Amino acid sequence: MHFTDLFSLILDNLGRRKARVALTAIGVLIGTASVVVLVSLGIGLQRGATQLFGIADLTRIDVSPKYNFEGVPVVSSGLGGGGGGAVPTPVPITDQTIAAIEALPDVAAVIPRDWLQAQTILKAGRLEAGVGLIGVGAADLATMGVEVEQGTSVLEKGTLIIGAQIALNGFYDPKPRPGQGPPTPPELLDKQIVLTVIKYTQDGQEVRKNIPMRVAGITTQTGQEADWSVFISLDEATQINSWALGRRINRNKDGYPMLVVKAAEPDGVLDLRDRIVDLGYEASTYQQFLEPLNEYYLTQQVIFGGVGAISLLVAAIGIANTMTMAILERTREIGLMKAVGATNRDVLSVFLGEAAGIGFIGGLGGVAFGWAASQVVGVLSLVNLASQGGQGGFFGGPTVLAVETPVWLMAGSLIFATLVGLLSGLYPALRAATLVPVLALKYE
Amino acid sequence: MADPLIRLTGLHKRFIMGHETVHALAGVDADIARNTFSAVIGPSGSGKSTLLYLIGGLDRPTAGRIEVEGAALDDLDENQLAQYRRRMVGFVFQSFNLIASMTALENVMFPMRFRRASLKHRRERAQELLTLVGLADRAHHRPTELSGGQQQRVAIARALVNDPHLILADEPTGNLDSASGALVMQLLADLHRQGRTVLMVTHDPRLTRFASDTIRILDGRLVSAEEYEARANLALVETHLP
Repeated sequence: MHFTDLFSLILDNLGRRKARVALTAIGVLIGTASVVVLVSLGIGLQRGATQLFGIADLTRIDVSPKYNFEGVPVVSSGLGGGGGGAVPTPVPITDQTIAAIEALPDVAAVIPRDWLQAQTILKAGRLEAGVGLIGVGAADLATMGVEVEQGTSVLEKGTLIIGAQIALNGFYDPKPRPGQGPPTPPELLDKQIVLTVIKYTQDGQEVRKNIPMRVAGITTQTGQEADWSVFISLDEATQINSWALGRRINRNKDGYPMLVVKAAEPDGVLDLRDRIVDLGYEASTYQQFLEPLNEYYLTQQVIFGGVGAISLLVAAIGIANTMTMAILERTREIGLMKAVGATNRDVLSVFLGEAAGIGFIGGLGGVAFGWAASQVVGVLSLVNLASQGGQGGFFGGPTVLAVETPVWLMAGSLIFATLVGLLSGLYPALRAATLVPVLALKYE
Repeated sequence: MADPLIRLTGLHKRFIMGHETVHALAGVDADIARNTFSAVIGPSGSGKSTLLYLIGGLDRPTAGRIEVEGAALDDLDENQLAQYRRRMVGFVFQSFNLIASMTALENVMFPMRFRRASLKHRRERAQELLTLVGLADRAHHRPTELSGGQQQRVAIARALVNDPHLILADEPTGNLDSASGALVMQLLADLHRQGRTVLMVTHDPRLTRFASDTIRILDGRLVSAEEYEARANLALVETHLP
């Protein structure tokens, strides 16, 4: 039997039992729609969670000196410490460490960072912002994966780059008048502002140092650490820290508190992390958090999909029932098909095709309905977020849609529904195909 | 008989009905010549329809051999048997077996769905056959809109659509009034005259006048005209005994 004949016969047969086909297909529709909505919700939640946690830069590894579980520094075997009550120290991150990590495969960049170890205030006109400054050992912040919305990502002496959220919400009026609302964010780009560093002498005297700085750039809002950070060059940070601590900082002895290692590719980041740990340092990557998170959400999606699949199972029983009834009613027709020359395979194909057709029709409706329902759930969740005054993510990051229906899910659900129909029709179709023609023709 | 179209040798067919074994055919030997119109007559339950369906490849014998054009049907697998039915045989049933949702034209075209043919060719062929059976103006009527005789004529057109040599008719007039029955018999006689071999099963001895040969069957065995008359009369007497 030619495919076009088979196809048109299946369509004709389905067409002459519209009501029954529609009722059976509704079962499949509900099942498929449940799978689509629930898995979309699962995927949306996973995407939402990864965005909320700021997990986007999958090539980044943060490296710091290694401390043991109780917070007591680990004795470095190379230094022969640990005896005679010497205070144990962690292995410092030195320039040799940077060179050693740079030599590892798949490393794109190694960027040392330091924090200002003094109280700092940024002053823009009348407004102030209390911020933590980060000294970055890279000429361009882009190397570290930080992008700027305005200005440049290149750090020079005497310039700083301000995080998007600080620029928007970080500045306040230190002497507000009663009833005064939050101030308008100041114009910052290319403006001279003042960095005030405060330290205290041994007798408790406050000493301030004002450093004029120019704002070279403002970062792009991402919901990550950079939104609430102010970056200066590492050399500048080292100078300020030297002033604050009252001594020269020796990186070979004091080390760097942290390195940001950028891998060339997200794949293999976990292996690279293990190699850095083997060098004797603490290393963490977002992928560590992402892995169990993904596993959790995958389990959730499987459970959600399973719930939907139960409705599909019920629908499958419906299809099997419809097809079994159809074969009882059409026994003489099957006998006729065989009498006029249809092979067992032809009869099998016709009935399997009809069952798969019901699955396909229901699946198509289910995907459309599921997609529409997912959009409604998405809109409702956005409305809900908006009504709670949220700006999206915890850190004001991009707004998270609670549901996501990828194309693979829609295509997969449609194929699955068709397969469910096909499998449900297998037993009735086999029965039809193996009927003895003469008995089928005489069936009353 | 030299080179018969159909040769039946020691044909047996048994059915298990509940705890009983029914011998529908109990050793049939016969040759049916090419281009003949054979009427198989016998009372109800004599095995005549079973014989027809075995020759048509719709069932398999319990024992014995059926040869059609020298080829044994027992040697054919299910697919080959389906091809035999498609190419060689046209069936006409007592209850027409038309598909209710299809028009007369679609019913006639139906067997062609199982072999390669263009839609245009199918339509032309079906229309030509409906004209042949006198139903050209009923092509787009559904079976429920046709009389019994018209339905049977559609069924005859359907039986001819693949141009088979052998026409097997099972009580073709059983559900028809005498006028429609006569028209259908005329059609079958025409098919015979055009060179086809027709094998018709009937319990009505009057229809044998359309046939060139008569095969008489009683209790699963072929019998002579004399034996048939004698036993048929006896059966008639027995049925009227108190």
